[in-house]
Amino acid sequence: MVKSQSTPVEKAARLLDLVPFISTHQGIALNELAQEFNLTERELLSDLNTLWMCGLPGYTPLELIDLEFESGYVSIRNAEVLQRVRLLTKQELVIILLGLDILQSSLDPKRDDLSGAISGLTIRIKKIVGNVAAALPIVDSTHRAIITQAIASRTDLLVSYHSTIKDTVSERVITPLELSLDRGFEVLDAYCQSAEGFRTFRLDNMRSVQLAGSSVNIPEPRDGSDYQWQLLIKSRFRTSSERFRSVYRPRESSAGEEVTVNSFSQDWLLRNAVSTLASVEVQLPVSARTLIAEKCQITLELYENWPFPN
Amino acid sequence: MLTVSRKTERLVNLTIALLATKRYITKSEIFRTVDGYEGNDESKERMFERDKDDLRNLGIEIEVGTFDPLFEDESGYRIKPENYQFQLGEVNAQEITLLSLAAEAWRGASLSSSALSALNKLHAIGIESDSELLLDLAPAIITQDENLAIAIAAITSRTVLSFSYLNEELKEQSRALEPYAVISKYGHWYIFGNDLDRRASRLFRLDRVSGELKPQGKSSAFEIPGDLDVNQAFAKSSELSSAIVFIRDGRGLNLRSRGSQNFTTSAPIGWQELKLEYLDRERFIEEVLWYGNDVIVFEPIDLRNEILGHLKAGVATYG
Repeated sequence: MVKSQSTPVEKAARLLDLVPFISTHQGIALNELAQEFNLTERELLSDLNTLWMCGLPGYTPLELIDLEFESGYVSIRNAEVLQRVRLLTKQELVIILLGLDILQSSLDPKRDDLSGAISGLTIRIKKIVGNVAAALPIVDSTHRAIITQAIASRTDLLVSYHSTIKDTVSERVITPLELSLDRGFEVLDAYCQSAEGFRTFRLDNMRSVQLAGSSVNIPEPRDGSDYQWQLLIKSRFRTSSERFRSVYRPRESSAGEEVTVNSFSQDWLLRNAVSTLASVEVQLPVSARTLIAEKCQITLELYENWPFPN
Repeated sequence: MLTVSRKTERLVNLTIALLATKRYITKSEIFRTVDGYEGNDESKERMFERDKDDLRNLGIEIEVGTFDPLFEDESGYRIKPENYQFQLGEVNAQEITLLSLAAEAWRGASLSSSALSALNKLHAIGIESDSELLLDLAPAIITQDENLAIAIAAITSRTVLSFSYLNEELKEQSRALEPYAVISKYGHWYIFGNDLDRRASRLFRLDRVSGELKPQGKSSAFEIPGDLDVNQAFAKSSELSSAIVFIRDGRGLNLRSRGSQNFTTSAPIGWQELKLEYLDRERFIEEVLWYGNDVIVFEPIDLRNEILGHLKAGVATYG
C-alpha cells in the first residue's frame, strides 16, 4: 500500500484504533504491530510516544494512558475510555459492501452457510448506508486463488480458455508466471505448454482453472515483438478508441484523429478494423490494408452467394 | 513535527474527554481542562471548530446539548459511546473473516487506505479469523481510479458532484449529479444518480469522466431514494430490436451465449440460425462485423444491406 506522511488527523485516527487493538493483543511484538498498521517501527514508536501523552483531563499519571513498549513488546493500561473499537465510517462500510458482493458471487455453490452469512452482513450494512453499491465481478475469485497458489508453488495449471480473438474455447496446460493488469483487465502472463510460447491470458476469459502438477519446463525469455498499426478515426471516437483500447482525451476539433495502436495479436487488430469499417481507416502498414481488403472481400462474397430467398 | 503531534494529541484528548463524560461539558470547561487549547479566546474557538469538523470526518459525531436550560448560550458537548463504537453488533469468527476478506479485496487498489483502517478496526475486535476459509477465496478489486473514492465519499455524505463527461465525439460535457450508487459491472465502474440538468436518472462510466469528480456545495444536500434498486440503473430504457443471423459451426461464442437458437428455418450445412436482440444498431453492426465471415445477418433486410454497404466500401478503400 502507498506510504505517505500522515496528517495529524490521520495519525489521531490511528491512535484511536491502536488502543483497542493493543488492548485485545496485550504483549504484541513491536514489529508485528507495525506490520498490522502498515507502519515502519519508527513511525509506530512516534505514535506510541504521542499516545503516552494522552489521557483524561488532569493529565497526572493517574489519568494518562499507561503504555509499556521498551521491552519490544507492547502492552497498555488505563485506557478504558478508548477501549471500544471505533465505528466503521460510511466510506469503509461501502467498500466492505462491494467486497462482500464480489465474495458472494464467487462462492462455491455448496457453501450456502457462507452465502447466508454474507447476506446477513450485507443486510446489516445496507441498513446503515442504504443500497448504494453493487459489484458484479467478471473474474471468478476462486480462479484467482488457484492461480496465486500455483505461482507460489510453481505448479502448472490446466485451464479451459475462451480466446475471443480466435473465437474458440480450448484446454491448455500453462506455466503461470505473473498476474498483472492490462488496460484495466486482470491478466496472467504464462508460458503455454500447449502452444509452446509465452501468452497473456485474461482472467475473465478463463472458464475453468485447476492445478495440473509441478512445472518441468523452464520457459525462455519472452519475445516482445508487437504489431503496430496506424489508424485514422473519422467518427464514433469514443467507441472506436475503446475497441482498439487506445487512451483517449477530450477533443476540441471535429477533424479525424490519427492514433497508433499496438497488439501482440494481428488477428485482434484485424477483427477490430473490420468491426469499425464505418468509422476507422487503417493507414499503415500496407500489409494490414491488404489483410482487411481480403477479409472484406470474402465476407462480401459470402453475403452475395448466400441462398437468400427472393 | 512538534505541531503535528500537538494537534494529534489535542484531538485524542478531546475525544477521551468527550467520551468519558456522562453529562454535556461546556466549551469553557473544555478550554480550561483539555490539554492543547492555547492562545486567546478567538484562536481557541477556531481550534475547537476545526477539531469538531476533523472528528466528524472520522465518523465521530459530537453531540450538542443544552447544559442548563437557564443559560441558553452555554451549550455543552459530548460523544455518546453508542455513536462511537463499532456498529455491526456482535460478530463471530466467520463473520470477521468475511468482513476482513471483503476489505482485503481492495489491497493495492484506490481506496486501500480506507480498507486498511477498516481492517485495523475489525482486527481490534480481538476475534481470530477463521483461516480455513481464506484458502480458496481471493476476491480482488483492481481499480486504480481515484474518482471511485470521491464518488463513494459524495454518496455517503450526500454531496452533489460536478464533472465533465466525454461523449461519443470525445467532447467534454458538463454534468451535475446527485450521486446515489456506485456499481461495478461488465468490468467497468459506473456511477448512478439524478442528473440535475436532465432532471432524470443517469448512469455514467467512471473511466469516461475527464479529470476529477468535484464535490459541489454542502453535504446532506439531497436524499437517496429509500427504495433504490441498483439493477434498475441498467434497465433498458428503449425498446430492443431483433435480428436473425447465421453463425458458422463452433464460432461466434459470445453471440451464441446471448441469443436463442431458431429451428424454424433450415440453415445451410455447417451453419446455425440464431435470433439476437440488440439495443444500439451501430454497436450491433460492429459486433457482427467483428466475426467477419463467420456470422452473417439474414434479417431484417435493411440491416443486412447496411452491412453489405460497409463491406463494399471496405473493399473499395483497401482493395
